Amino acid sequence: MSGRWLRAVGFGTVAIVILLPVLLPHPFVLSIATQAMIWALLAASWDLLSGYAGQISFGHAGFFALGAYIAAASSKHLGLSPWLGLVLGAVGASLVGLLAGFPALRLRGHYLALVTLALAELIRLIAQNWLAVTGGPFGIYDFGTFPGLPTGPIARGRAFYLLVLAIAAVGVGGMLYVCARRDAGRAFRAIREDEVLAESLGINTTAYKLAAFALSSGVAGLAGTLYAYYIQLVSPTVASAATTSLVIGMAVFGGLGTIWGPALGALLLYALNEGLRFVGVVYNLVAVGLVIMFFVIFLPRGLAGLRLTRARRTARKDATAAS
Amino acid sequence: MLDVINVAHGEFFAVGGYLIFAAVVLMHWPGAAGVALAGLGAFALGLAVYPLLIAPLKRRLGRRPAGSLYLVLTLGLSTFMQSSLLALAGGDYRRVPPLAPGILELSFTGVSYQRLLVVGMASVLLTGLFVFLAWHRQGLAVRAVAQNPDAAQAMGINLDRIFSLTLALGVALAGIGGALMAPLFNVYPAVGFPLTIKAFAITILGGMGNLLGALFASLLVGMAESLVVMVIPSQWQNGVAFVVMIAVLLLRPQGLLGRASSR
Repeated sequence: MSGRWLRAVGFGTVAIVILLPVLLPHPFVLSIATQAMIWALLAASWDLLSGYAGQISFGHAGFFALGAYIAAASSKHLGLSPWLGLVLGAVGASLVGLLAGFPALRLRGHYLALVTLALAELIRLIAQNWLAVTGGPFGIYDFGTFPGLPTGPIARGRAFYLLVLAIAAVGVGGMLYVCARRDAGRAFRAIREDEVLAESLGINTTAYKLAAFALSSGVAGLAGTLYAYYIQLVSPTVASAATTSLVIGMAVFGGLGTIWGPALGALLLYALNEGLRFVGVVYNLVAVGLVIMFFVIFLPRGLAGLRLTRARRTARKDATAAS
Repeated sequence: MLDVINVAHGEFFAVGGYLIFAAVVLMHWPGAAGVALAGLGAFALGLAVYPLLIAPLKRRLGRRPAGSLYLVLTLGLSTFMQSSLLALAGGDYRRVPPLAPGILELSFTGVSYQRLLVVGMASVLLTGLFVFLAWHRQGLAVRAVAQNPDAAQAMGINLDRIFSLTLALGVALAGIGGALMAPLFNVYPAVGFPLTIKAFAITILGGMGNLLGALFASLLVGMAESLVVMVIPSQWQNGVAFVVMIAVLLLRPQGLLGRASSR
Protein backbone atom coordinates (compact mmCIF):
# COMPACT_ATOMS: atom_id res chain seq x y z
CA MET A 1 0.00 0.00 0.00
CA SER A 2 1.43 3.35 -0.92
CA GLY A 3 1.56 6.33 1.39
CA ARG A 4 -1.16 8.09 -0.54
CA TRP A 5 -3.50 5.16 -0.10
CA LEU A 6 -2.78 4.98 3.61
CA ARG A 7 -3.46 8.66 3.98
CA ALA A 8 -6.73 8.36 2.08
CA VAL A 9 -7.82 5.47 4.31
CA GLY A 10 -6.79 7.44 7.40
CA PHE A 11 -8.66 10.58 6.43
CA GLY A 12 -11.65 8.49 5.37
CA THR A 13 -11.81 6.82 8.78
CA VAL A 14 -11.57 10.14 10.57
CA ALA A 15 -14.28 11.62 8.36
CA ILE A 16 -16.58 8.67 9.05
CA VAL A 17 -15.95 8.90 12.79
CA ILE A 18 -16.69 12.61 12.76
CA LEU A 19 -19.81 12.28 10.63
CA LEU A 20 -21.08 9.12 12.34
CA PRO A 21 -23.05 10.99 15.02
CA VAL A 22 -24.87 12.89 12.27
CA LEU A 23 -25.61 9.81 10.21
CA LEU A 24 -26.48 7.68 13.23
CA PRO A 25 -28.11 10.09 15.66
CA HIS A 26 -28.48 7.85 18.67
CA PRO A 27 -28.53 9.85 21.94
CA PHE A 28 -25.67 7.81 23.43
CA VAL A 29 -23.49 8.20 20.33
CA LEU A 30 -24.25 11.92 20.17
CA SER A 31 -23.43 12.46 23.83
CA ILE A 32 -20.11 10.63 23.62
CA ALA A 33 -19.18 12.31 20.34
CA THR A 34 -19.93 15.79 21.68
CA GLN A 35 -17.86 15.25 24.81
CA ALA A 36 -15.06 13.62 22.84
CA MET A 37 -14.95 16.71 20.62
CA ILE A 38 -14.64 18.98 23.67
CA TRP A 39 -11.78 16.84 24.96
CA ALA A 40 -10.15 16.98 21.54
CA LEU A 41 -10.11 20.77 21.70
CA LEU A 42 -8.66 20.67 25.23
CA ALA A 43 -5.99 18.12 24.33
CA ALA A 44 -4.97 20.14 21.27
CA SER A 45 -4.68 23.29 23.41
CA TRP A 46 -2.44 21.45 25.87
CA ASP A 47 -0.31 20.23 23.01
CA LEU A 48 0.17 23.72 21.60
CA LEU A 49 1.72 24.88 24.86
CA SER A 50 3.45 21.74 26.07
CA GLY A 51 4.11 19.62 23.04
CA TYR A 52 4.72 22.31 20.46
CA ALA A 53 6.22 25.17 22.45
CA GLY A 54 7.71 22.87 25.11
CA GLN A 55 6.30 24.65 28.17
CA ILE A 56 4.96 21.76 30.22
CA SER A 57 1.68 22.61 31.90
CA PHE A 58 0.16 20.38 34.56
CA GLY A 59 -2.57 22.90 35.09
CA HIS A 60 -4.81 22.64 32.07
CA ALA A 61 -7.65 21.28 34.16
CA GLY A 62 -7.47 24.64 35.93
CA PHE A 63 -7.88 26.69 32.72
CA PHE A 64 -10.62 24.33 31.53
CA ALA A 65 -12.48 24.66 34.83
CA LEU A 66 -11.97 28.41 34.85
CA GLY A 67 -13.64 28.75 31.46
CA ALA A 68 -16.46 26.46 32.58
CA TYR A 69 -17.02 28.37 35.81
CA ILE A 70 -16.91 31.80 34.18
CA ALA A 71 -19.45 30.67 31.58
CA ALA A 72 -21.73 29.03 34.13
CA ALA A 73 -21.53 31.89 36.64
CA SER A 74 -22.07 34.62 34.05
CA SER A 75 -25.19 32.88 32.76
CA LYS A 76 -26.50 31.92 36.19
CA HIS A 77 -25.81 35.07 38.20
CA LEU A 78 -25.72 37.78 35.56
CA GLY A 79 -28.14 36.22 33.10
CA LEU A 80 -25.76 36.78 30.20
CA SER A 81 -26.26 35.04 26.88
CA PRO A 82 -24.26 31.80 26.50
CA TRP A 83 -22.65 33.27 23.38
CA LEU A 84 -21.22 36.01 25.56
CA GLY A 85 -20.32 33.39 28.21
CA LEU A 86 -18.36 31.53 25.56
CA VAL A 87 -16.24 34.60 24.86
CA LEU A 88 -15.91 35.63 28.51
CA GLY A 89 -14.78 32.15 29.57
CA ALA A 90 -12.15 31.98 26.86
CA VAL A 91 -10.86 35.50 27.52
CA GLY A 92 -10.83 34.99 31.30
CA ALA A 93 -8.91 31.74 31.06
CA SER A 94 -6.56 33.35 28.59
CA LEU A 95 -5.78 36.22 30.99
CA VAL A 96 -5.07 33.84 33.86
CA GLY A 97 -2.97 31.77 31.48
CA LEU A 98 -1.02 34.91 30.61
CA LEU A 99 -0.38 35.46 34.32
CA ALA A 100 0.77 31.85 34.61
CA GLY A 101 3.12 32.55 31.73
CA PHE A 102 5.20 34.97 33.79
CA PRO A 103 6.67 32.25 36.01
CA ALA A 104 7.46 30.42 32.78
CA LEU A 105 9.84 33.21 31.86
CA ARG A 106 12.07 32.17 34.74
CA LEU A 107 11.34 28.49 35.18
CA ARG A 108 11.66 25.41 33.04
CA GLY A 109 10.69 21.79 32.99
CA HIS A 110 9.73 20.32 36.35
CA TYR A 111 9.46 23.64 38.08
CA LEU A 112 7.05 25.09 35.58
CA ALA A 113 4.94 21.92 35.69
CA LEU A 114 4.74 22.21 39.46
CA VAL A 115 3.72 25.86 39.40
CA THR A 116 0.94 25.16 36.92
CA LEU A 117 -0.16 22.16 38.97
CA ALA A 118 -0.32 24.35 42.06
CA LEU A 119 -2.28 26.95 40.08
CA ALA A 120 -4.88 24.36 39.07
CA GLU A 121 -5.17 23.21 42.68
CA LEU A 122 -5.69 26.80 43.77
CA ILE A 123 -8.46 27.20 41.19
CA ARG A 124 -10.05 23.99 42.48
CA LEU A 125 -9.79 25.28 46.04
CA ILE A 126 -11.43 28.56 45.10
CA ALA A 127 -14.19 26.68 43.26
CA GLN A 128 -14.78 24.58 46.34
CA ASN A 129 -14.83 27.40 48.86
CA TRP A 130 -16.22 30.53 47.23
CA LEU A 131 -19.79 29.47 47.92
CA ALA A 132 -21.51 32.66 46.80
CA VAL A 133 -20.29 32.43 43.23
CA THR A 134 -19.27 28.82 42.61
CA GLY A 135 -21.83 26.98 44.73
CA GLY A 136 -19.06 25.16 46.61
CA PRO A 137 -18.78 21.38 46.32
CA PHE A 138 -22.19 21.13 44.63
CA GLY A 139 -21.10 23.39 41.81
CA ILE A 140 -23.27 25.48 39.51
CA TYR A 141 -26.18 23.93 37.70
CA ASP A 142 -29.37 25.01 35.98
CA PHE A 143 -27.95 27.93 34.06
CA GLY A 144 -29.42 27.33 30.63
CA THR A 145 -27.73 26.75 27.33
CA PHE A 146 -27.64 28.25 23.86
CA PRO A 147 -30.97 29.73 22.81
CA GLY A 148 -32.52 28.65 19.55
CA LEU A 149 -31.54 24.98 19.63
CA PRO A 150 -34.25 22.61 18.40
CA THR A 151 -36.40 21.11 21.12
CA GLY A 152 -36.58 17.43 20.13
CA PRO A 153 -33.99 15.44 22.09
CA ILE A 154 -32.24 13.97 19.06
CA ALA A 155 -32.43 17.09 16.91
CA ARG A 156 -31.12 19.07 19.87
CA GLY A 157 -28.25 16.68 20.48
CA ARG A 158 -27.34 16.75 16.81
CA ALA A 159 -27.44 20.54 16.63
CA PHE A 160 -25.28 20.79 19.73
CA TYR A 161 -22.82 18.28 18.31
CA LEU A 162 -22.51 20.24 15.08
CA LEU A 163 -22.00 23.46 17.06
CA VAL A 164 -19.25 21.89 19.18
CA LEU A 165 -17.74 20.32 16.08
CA ALA A 166 -17.63 23.69 14.34
CA ILE A 167 -16.08 25.48 17.31
CA ALA A 168 -13.56 22.69 17.89
CA ALA A 169 -12.64 22.71 14.21
CA VAL A 170 -12.12 26.47 14.29
CA GLY A 171 -10.07 26.17 17.50
CA VAL A 172 -7.83 23.34 16.31
CA GLY A 173 -7.58 24.86 12.84
CA GLY A 174 -6.66 28.23 14.32
CA MET A 175 -3.92 26.71 16.41
CA LEU A 176 -2.60 24.75 13.43
CA TYR A 177 -2.61 27.97 11.43
CA VAL A 178 -0.63 29.83 14.11
CA CYS A 179 1.90 26.98 14.23
CA ALA A 180 2.21 26.92 10.45
CA ARG A 181 2.96 30.63 10.33
CA ARG A 182 6.57 31.45 9.74
CA ASP A 183 7.06 33.69 12.77
CA ALA A 184 5.07 32.05 15.56
CA GLY A 185 5.45 28.42 14.55
CA ARG A 186 9.18 28.69 14.13
CA ALA A 187 9.56 30.64 17.35
CA PHE A 188 7.58 28.04 19.32
CA ARG A 189 9.65 25.19 17.94
CA ALA A 190 12.90 27.04 18.52
CA ILE A 191 11.93 27.73 22.14
CA ARG A 192 11.10 24.08 22.63
CA GLU A 193 14.37 22.83 21.19
CA ASP A 194 16.79 25.30 22.71
CA GLU A 195 15.68 28.48 24.39
CA VAL A 196 19.08 30.10 24.69
CA LEU A 197 19.82 29.43 21.06
CA ALA A 198 16.42 30.80 20.06
CA GLU A 199 17.13 33.99 21.93
CA SER A 200 20.54 34.35 20.38
CA LEU A 201 18.92 34.09 16.96
CA GLY A 202 16.94 37.21 17.75
CA ILE A 203 13.65 35.51 18.61
CA ASN A 204 11.72 37.40 21.26
CA THR A 205 11.26 34.37 23.52
CA THR A 206 9.47 36.37 26.21
CA ALA A 207 6.71 37.51 23.89
CA TYR A 208 6.26 34.13 22.20
CA LYS A 209 6.18 32.21 25.46
CA LEU A 210 3.51 34.51 26.83
CA ALA A 211 1.62 34.26 23.55
CA ALA A 212 1.71 30.46 23.72
CA PHE A 213 0.38 30.55 27.26
CA ALA A 214 -2.39 33.00 26.46
CA LEU A 215 -3.51 31.18 23.31
CA SER A 216 -3.37 27.71 24.83
CA SER A 217 -5.18 28.60 28.04
CA GLY A 218 -7.73 30.60 26.09
CA VAL A 219 -8.60 27.60 23.93
CA ALA A 220 -8.68 25.39 27.04
CA GLY A 221 -11.11 27.88 28.58
CA LEU A 222 -13.20 27.80 25.42
CA ALA A 223 -13.39 24.02 25.71
CA GLY A 224 -14.45 24.53 29.33
CA THR A 225 -17.31 26.83 28.35
CA LEU A 226 -18.57 24.25 25.84
CA TYR A 227 -18.37 21.63 28.57
CA ALA A 228 -20.37 23.83 30.93
CA TYR A 229 -23.15 24.53 28.43
CA TYR A 230 -23.31 20.91 27.37
CA ILE A 231 -23.15 19.08 30.70
CA GLN A 232 -25.10 21.79 32.55
CA LEU A 233 -23.16 21.15 35.74
CA VAL A 234 -19.79 22.54 36.76
CA SER A 235 -18.28 21.22 39.98
CA PRO A 236 -14.81 21.45 41.54
CA THR A 237 -13.79 17.96 40.39
CA VAL A 238 -13.47 19.36 36.85
CA ALA A 239 -10.33 21.16 38.02
CA SER A 240 -8.80 18.07 39.61
CA ALA A 241 -5.45 16.71 38.53
CA ALA A 242 -7.22 13.63 37.15
CA THR A 243 -8.57 15.84 34.34
CA THR A 244 -5.10 17.08 33.49
CA SER A 245 -3.79 13.55 33.63
CA LEU A 246 -6.46 12.39 31.19
CA VAL A 247 -5.69 15.25 28.81
CA ILE A 248 -1.96 14.56 28.87
CA GLY A 249 -2.70 10.89 28.31
CA MET A 250 -4.76 11.80 25.24
CA ALA A 251 -2.02 14.05 23.89
CA VAL A 252 0.71 11.47 24.42
CA PHE A 253 -1.52 8.83 22.84
CA GLY A 254 -2.13 10.99 19.79
CA GLY A 255 1.39 12.31 19.35
CA LEU A 256 3.06 15.29 21.01
CA GLY A 257 3.80 18.45 19.10
CA THR A 258 1.46 17.93 16.18
CA ILE A 259 -1.74 19.62 17.50
CA TRP A 260 -3.96 17.39 15.35
CA GLY A 261 -2.48 14.22 16.85
CA PRO A 262 -3.69 14.96 20.38
CA ALA A 263 -7.10 15.96 19.03
CA LEU A 264 -7.34 12.59 17.27
CA GLY A 265 -5.93 10.82 20.33
CA ALA A 266 -8.59 12.46 22.48
CA LEU A 267 -11.39 11.28 20.20
CA LEU A 268 -10.12 7.69 20.22
CA LEU A 269 -9.14 7.54 23.87
CA TYR A 270 -12.41 9.08 25.01
CA ALA A 271 -14.35 6.55 22.95
CA LEU A 272 -12.20 3.77 24.45
CA ASN A 273 -12.72 5.22 27.90
CA GLU A 274 -16.49 5.28 27.49
CA GLY A 275 -16.48 1.86 25.86
CA LEU A 276 -14.64 0.40 28.86
CA ARG A 277 -17.34 1.78 31.10
CA PHE A 278 -19.28 -1.36 30.26
CA VAL A 279 -16.44 -3.45 31.59
CA GLY A 280 -16.21 -1.51 34.82
CA VAL A 281 -16.14 2.12 35.77
CA VAL A 282 -12.69 2.10 37.35
CA TYR A 283 -10.86 0.11 34.70
CA ASN A 284 -11.02 2.92 32.18
CA LEU A 285 -8.63 5.04 34.27
CA VAL A 286 -6.37 2.05 34.83
CA ALA A 287 -6.22 1.80 31.05
CA VAL A 288 -5.48 5.52 30.69
CA GLY A 289 -2.56 5.18 33.10
CA LEU A 290 -1.22 2.21 31.17
CA VAL A 291 -1.62 4.01 27.85
CA ILE A 292 0.33 7.03 29.13
CA MET A 293 3.19 4.89 30.43
CA PHE A 294 3.38 2.67 27.36
CA PHE A 295 3.30 5.51 24.86
CA VAL A 296 5.80 7.68 26.73
CA ILE A 297 8.29 4.84 26.87
CA PHE A 298 7.84 3.23 23.49
CA LEU A 299 5.94 5.55 21.16
CA PRO A 300 6.58 9.12 22.23
CA ARG A 301 5.30 10.38 18.91
CA GLY A 302 2.03 8.59 19.42
CA LEU A 303 -0.38 7.70 16.66
CA ALA A 304 0.81 10.63 14.58
CA GLY A 305 4.32 9.16 14.76
CA LEU A 306 3.10 5.78 13.53
CA ARG A 307 1.68 7.38 10.42
CA LEU A 308 4.84 9.39 9.87
CA THR A 309 7.23 6.49 10.13
CA ARG A 310 5.13 4.34 7.87
CA ALA A 311 4.85 7.11 5.29
CA ARG A 312 8.59 7.64 5.52
CA ARG A 313 9.30 3.96 5.21
CA THR A 314 7.23 3.75 2.07
CA ALA A 315 8.89 6.88 0.76
CA ARG A 316 12.26 5.23 1.24
CA LYS A 317 11.02 2.07 -0.44
CA ASP A 318 9.74 4.12 -3.37
CA ALA A 319 13.11 5.85 -3.61
CA THR A 320 15.04 2.57 -3.69
CA ALA A 321 12.61 1.16 -6.24
CA ALA A 322 13.13 4.19 -8.47
CA SER A 323 16.93 4.05 -8.37
CA MET B 1 18.04 13.77 44.19
CA LEU B 2 17.82 11.95 40.90
CA ASP B 3 16.39 14.87 39.00
CA VAL B 4 13.39 12.65 38.35
CA ILE B 5 10.28 13.96 40.04
CA ASN B 6 7.99 11.16 41.04
CA VAL B 7 4.41 12.38 40.74
CA ALA B 8 3.25 8.97 41.96
CA HIS B 9 4.93 9.42 45.34
CA GLY B 10 1.65 10.03 47.14
CA GLU B 11 0.22 6.81 45.74
CA PHE B 12 2.85 4.87 47.65
CA PHE B 13 1.65 6.69 50.74
CA ALA B 14 -1.83 5.33 49.94
CA VAL B 15 -0.37 1.85 49.35
CA GLY B 16 1.19 2.01 52.81
CA GLY B 17 -2.16 2.96 54.28
CA TYR B 18 -3.92 0.05 52.56
CA LEU B 19 -1.22 -2.42 53.55
CA ILE B 20 -1.51 -1.55 57.23
CA PHE B 21 -5.29 -1.75 56.90
CA ALA B 22 -4.96 -5.23 55.41
CA ALA B 23 -2.48 -6.32 58.07
CA VAL B 24 -4.06 -4.86 61.18
CA VAL B 25 -7.78 -4.88 60.42
CA LEU B 26 -8.18 -7.84 58.09
CA MET B 27 -5.48 -10.18 59.34
CA HIS B 28 -5.24 -8.97 62.96
CA TRP B 29 -1.50 -8.61 62.92
CA PRO B 30 0.18 -6.42 65.53
CA GLY B 31 0.63 -2.79 64.52
CA ALA B 32 4.41 -2.91 64.24
CA ALA B 33 4.17 -5.77 61.75
CA GLY B 34 1.69 -3.72 59.74
CA VAL B 35 4.08 -0.78 59.57
CA ALA B 36 6.89 -3.09 58.54
CA LEU B 37 4.69 -4.66 55.87
CA ALA B 38 3.79 -1.20 54.54
CA GLY B 39 7.45 -0.20 54.36
CA LEU B 40 8.57 -3.44 52.75
CA GLY B 41 5.64 -3.53 50.32
CA ALA B 42 6.26 0.01 49.14
CA PHE B 43 10.00 -0.77 48.91
CA ALA B 44 9.33 -3.82 46.75
CA LEU B 45 6.98 -1.90 44.45
CA GLY B 46 9.46 0.96 44.29
CA LEU B 47 12.25 -1.40 43.26
CA ALA B 48 10.19 -2.34 40.22
CA VAL B 49 9.58 1.25 39.10
CA TYR B 50 13.06 2.05 37.90
CA PRO B 51 13.85 -1.06 35.82
CA LEU B 52 10.34 -1.33 34.39
CA LEU B 53 9.54 2.30 33.62
CA ILE B 54 12.37 4.78 33.92
CA ALA B 55 15.26 2.71 32.59
CA PRO B 56 13.53 1.79 29.29
CA LEU B 57 12.69 5.44 28.67
CA LYS B 58 16.24 6.42 29.50
CA ARG B 59 17.60 3.78 27.14
CA ARG B 60 15.38 4.94 24.30
CA LEU B 61 16.26 8.60 24.84
CA GLY B 62 19.99 7.97 24.97
CA ARG B 63 21.71 11.33 25.25
CA ARG B 64 18.73 13.37 24.14
CA PRO B 65 17.20 15.61 26.83
CA ALA B 66 14.23 14.07 28.57
CA GLY B 67 12.40 17.34 29.04
CA SER B 68 9.37 16.52 31.09
CA LEU B 69 8.83 13.01 29.82
CA TYR B 70 9.65 11.52 33.23
CA LEU B 71 7.06 13.77 34.77
CA VAL B 72 4.45 12.59 32.28
CA LEU B 73 5.57 9.00 32.85
CA THR B 74 5.13 9.14 36.61
CA LEU B 75 1.85 10.97 36.12
CA GLY B 76 0.74 7.89 34.19
CA LEU B 77 1.98 5.70 37.02
CA SER B 78 0.05 7.82 39.49
CA THR B 79 -3.18 7.47 37.51
CA PHE B 80 -2.57 3.76 37.10
CA MET B 81 -1.88 3.15 40.79
CA GLN B 82 -4.70 5.32 42.03
CA SER B 83 -7.31 3.67 39.84
CA SER B 84 -5.89 0.21 40.52
CA LEU B 85 -6.30 0.84 44.23
CA LEU B 86 -9.82 1.99 43.50
CA ALA B 87 -10.48 -1.21 41.55
CA LEU B 88 -8.92 -3.47 44.17
CA ALA B 89 -10.06 -1.86 47.38
CA GLY B 90 -13.06 0.21 46.38
CA GLY B 91 -13.64 3.87 47.05
CA ASP B 92 -14.78 3.50 50.67
CA TYR B 93 -12.95 5.29 53.43
CA ARG B 94 -11.08 2.69 55.48
CA ARG B 95 -10.48 3.24 59.15
CA VAL B 96 -7.40 1.92 60.87
CA PRO B 97 -7.37 1.82 64.70
CA PRO B 98 -4.57 3.83 66.31
CA LEU B 99 -1.42 1.85 67.00
CA ALA B 100 -0.96 3.76 70.21
CA PRO B 101 -4.39 4.56 71.64
CA GLY B 102 -4.97 7.22 74.24
CA ILE B 103 -4.28 10.87 74.66
CA LEU B 104 -1.48 12.60 76.47
CA GLU B 105 -3.04 15.30 78.64
CA LEU B 106 -1.07 18.49 78.79
CA SER B 107 -2.20 21.48 80.77
CA PHE B 108 -3.25 23.46 77.67
CA THR B 109 -4.13 20.78 75.13
CA GLY B 110 -4.26 17.05 74.53
CA VAL B 111 -2.06 15.17 72.10
CA SER B 112 -2.94 11.65 71.00
CA TYR B 113 -0.19 9.10 71.45
CA GLN B 114 -0.56 8.21 67.77
CA ARG B 115 0.67 11.69 66.84
CA LEU B 116 3.58 11.38 69.24
CA LEU B 117 4.35 8.01 67.69
CA VAL B 118 4.38 9.61 64.23
CA VAL B 119 6.75 12.32 65.40
CA GLY B 120 9.00 9.78 67.12
CA MET B 121 9.10 7.38 64.17
CA ALA B 122 9.69 10.22 61.73
CA SER B 123 12.65 11.45 63.79
CA VAL B 124 14.12 7.96 63.98
CA LEU B 125 13.68 7.34 60.26
CA LEU B 126 15.09 10.71 59.27
CA THR B 127 18.09 10.22 61.53
CA GLY B 128 18.55 6.80 59.99
CA LEU B 129 18.40 8.31 56.53
CA PHE B 130 21.00 10.92 57.43
CA VAL B 131 23.29 8.29 58.88
CA PHE B 132 22.81 6.08 55.83
CA LEU B 133 23.62 8.88 53.42
CA ALA B 134 26.53 10.15 55.47
CA TRP B 135 28.36 6.93 56.29
CA HIS B 136 26.99 3.84 54.63
CA ARG B 137 28.74 2.67 51.46
CA GLN B 138 25.54 2.69 49.42
CA GLY B 139 24.54 6.02 50.92
CA LEU B 140 27.82 7.54 49.80
CA ALA B 141 27.18 6.08 46.36
CA VAL B 142 23.75 7.74 46.25
CA ARG B 143 25.30 11.09 47.05
CA ALA B 144 28.05 10.58 44.51
CA VAL B 145 25.51 9.77 41.80
CA ALA B 146 23.45 12.83 42.71
CA GLN B 147 26.52 15.04 42.41
CA ASN B 148 27.95 13.70 39.18
CA PRO B 149 26.56 10.55 37.60
CA ASP B 150 29.32 10.23 35.02
CA ALA B 151 32.15 10.48 37.52
CA ALA B 152 30.32 8.10 39.85
CA GLN B 153 30.00 5.56 37.09
CA ALA B 154 33.70 5.93 36.30
CA MET B 155 34.40 5.06 39.95
CA GLY B 156 32.65 1.75 39.46
CA ILE B 157 29.25 2.61 40.89
CA ASN B 158 26.38 0.75 39.27
CA LEU B 159 24.11 3.64 38.31
CA ASP B 160 21.02 1.56 37.65
CA ARG B 161 21.29 -0.11 41.02
CA ILE B 162 21.68 3.17 42.86
CA PHE B 163 18.75 4.74 41.01
CA SER B 164 16.51 1.78 41.85
CA LEU B 165 17.65 1.81 45.44
CA THR B 166 17.09 5.53 45.91
CA LEU B 167 13.65 5.41 44.39
CA ALA B 168 12.68 2.38 46.45
CA LEU B 169 13.98 3.95 49.67
CA GLY B 170 12.05 7.12 48.99
CA VAL B 171 8.76 5.37 48.36
CA ALA B 172 9.36 2.99 51.29
CA LEU B 173 9.49 6.04 53.53
CA ALA B 174 6.26 7.24 51.92
CA GLY B 175 4.71 3.82 52.57
CA ILE B 176 5.71 3.89 56.24
CA GLY B 177 4.38 7.42 56.45
CA GLY B 178 1.10 6.23 55.00
CA ALA B 179 0.92 3.40 57.52
CA LEU B 180 1.64 5.66 60.47
CA MET B 181 -0.76 8.37 59.35
CA ALA B 182 -3.54 5.93 58.44
CA PRO B 183 -5.19 6.08 61.88
CA LEU B 184 -5.21 9.90 61.71
CA PHE B 185 -6.47 10.19 58.14
CA ASN B 186 -8.86 7.74 56.60
CA VAL B 187 -7.42 5.61 53.83
CA TYR B 188 -8.84 6.03 50.35
CA PRO B 189 -7.26 5.75 46.88
CA ALA B 190 -6.68 9.45 46.31
CA VAL B 191 -5.38 10.14 49.84
CA GLY B 192 -1.83 10.68 48.68
CA PHE B 193 -2.20 13.13 45.85
CA PRO B 194 -2.57 16.40 47.79
CA LEU B 195 0.35 15.22 49.91
CA THR B 196 2.46 14.78 46.78
CA ILE B 197 1.89 18.40 45.89
CA LYS B 198 2.56 19.48 49.43
CA ALA B 199 5.75 17.43 49.47
CA PHE B 200 6.87 19.15 46.25
CA ALA B 201 6.17 22.52 47.79
CA ILE B 202 8.26 21.62 50.83
CA THR B 203 11.07 20.16 48.77
CA ILE B 204 11.25 23.24 46.61
CA LEU B 205 11.07 25.51 49.63
CA GLY B 206 13.94 23.66 51.25
CA GLY B 207 15.98 23.37 48.08
CA MET B 208 16.04 20.32 45.81
CA GLY B 209 18.18 17.45 47.05
CA ASN B 210 18.70 19.10 50.40
CA LEU B 211 17.35 16.93 53.22
CA LEU B 212 18.09 19.37 56.03
CA GLY B 213 16.36 22.08 54.03
CA ALA B 214 13.35 19.82 53.54
CA LEU B 215 13.12 19.20 57.27
CA PHE B 216 13.33 22.90 58.03
CA ALA B 217 10.82 23.75 55.30
CA SER B 218 8.29 21.14 56.43
CA LEU B 219 8.34 22.58 59.94
CA LEU B 220 7.88 26.03 58.45
CA VAL B 221 4.97 25.02 56.20
CA GLY B 222 3.34 23.00 58.97
CA MET B 223 3.45 25.93 61.35
CA ALA B 224 2.35 28.40 58.70
CA GLU B 225 -0.64 26.20 57.90
CA SER B 226 -1.62 25.93 61.56
CA LEU B 227 -1.16 29.59 62.35
CA VAL B 228 -2.82 30.93 59.23
CA VAL B 229 -6.14 29.48 60.43
CA MET B 230 -6.28 32.34 62.93
CA VAL B 231 -6.33 34.83 60.07
CA ILE B 232 -8.27 33.12 57.28
CA PRO B 233 -11.04 30.49 57.27
CA SER B 234 -9.75 26.97 57.70
CA GLN B 235 -11.02 25.62 54.38
CA TRP B 236 -8.40 27.74 52.62
CA GLN B 237 -5.66 26.13 54.71
CA ASN B 238 -4.57 23.76 51.97
CA GLY B 239 -3.86 26.66 49.66
CA VAL B 240 -1.02 27.90 51.85
CA ALA B 241 1.50 25.35 50.62
CA PHE B 242 0.69 26.11 46.98
CA VAL B 243 0.99 29.86 47.39
CA VAL B 244 4.26 29.38 49.26
CA MET B 245 5.55 27.13 46.49
CA ILE B 246 4.69 29.55 43.70
CA ALA B 247 6.19 32.46 45.62
CA VAL B 248 9.41 30.59 46.39
CA LEU B 249 9.81 29.45 42.81
CA LEU B 250 9.46 33.00 41.62
CA LEU B 251 11.62 34.70 44.21
CA ARG B 252 14.18 32.15 45.27
CA PRO B 253 14.15 29.10 42.98
CA GLN B 254 17.11 27.48 44.72
CA GLY B 255 15.12 27.21 47.96
CA LEU B 256 15.63 28.77 51.37
CA LEU B 257 18.76 26.87 52.27
CA GLY B 258 19.89 25.98 48.78
CA ARG B 259 22.92 27.52 47.20
CA ALA B 260 22.48 29.42 43.97
CA SER B 261 23.36 27.11 41.12
CA SER B 262 24.23 28.04 37.60
CA ARG B 263 20.96 26.97 36.10
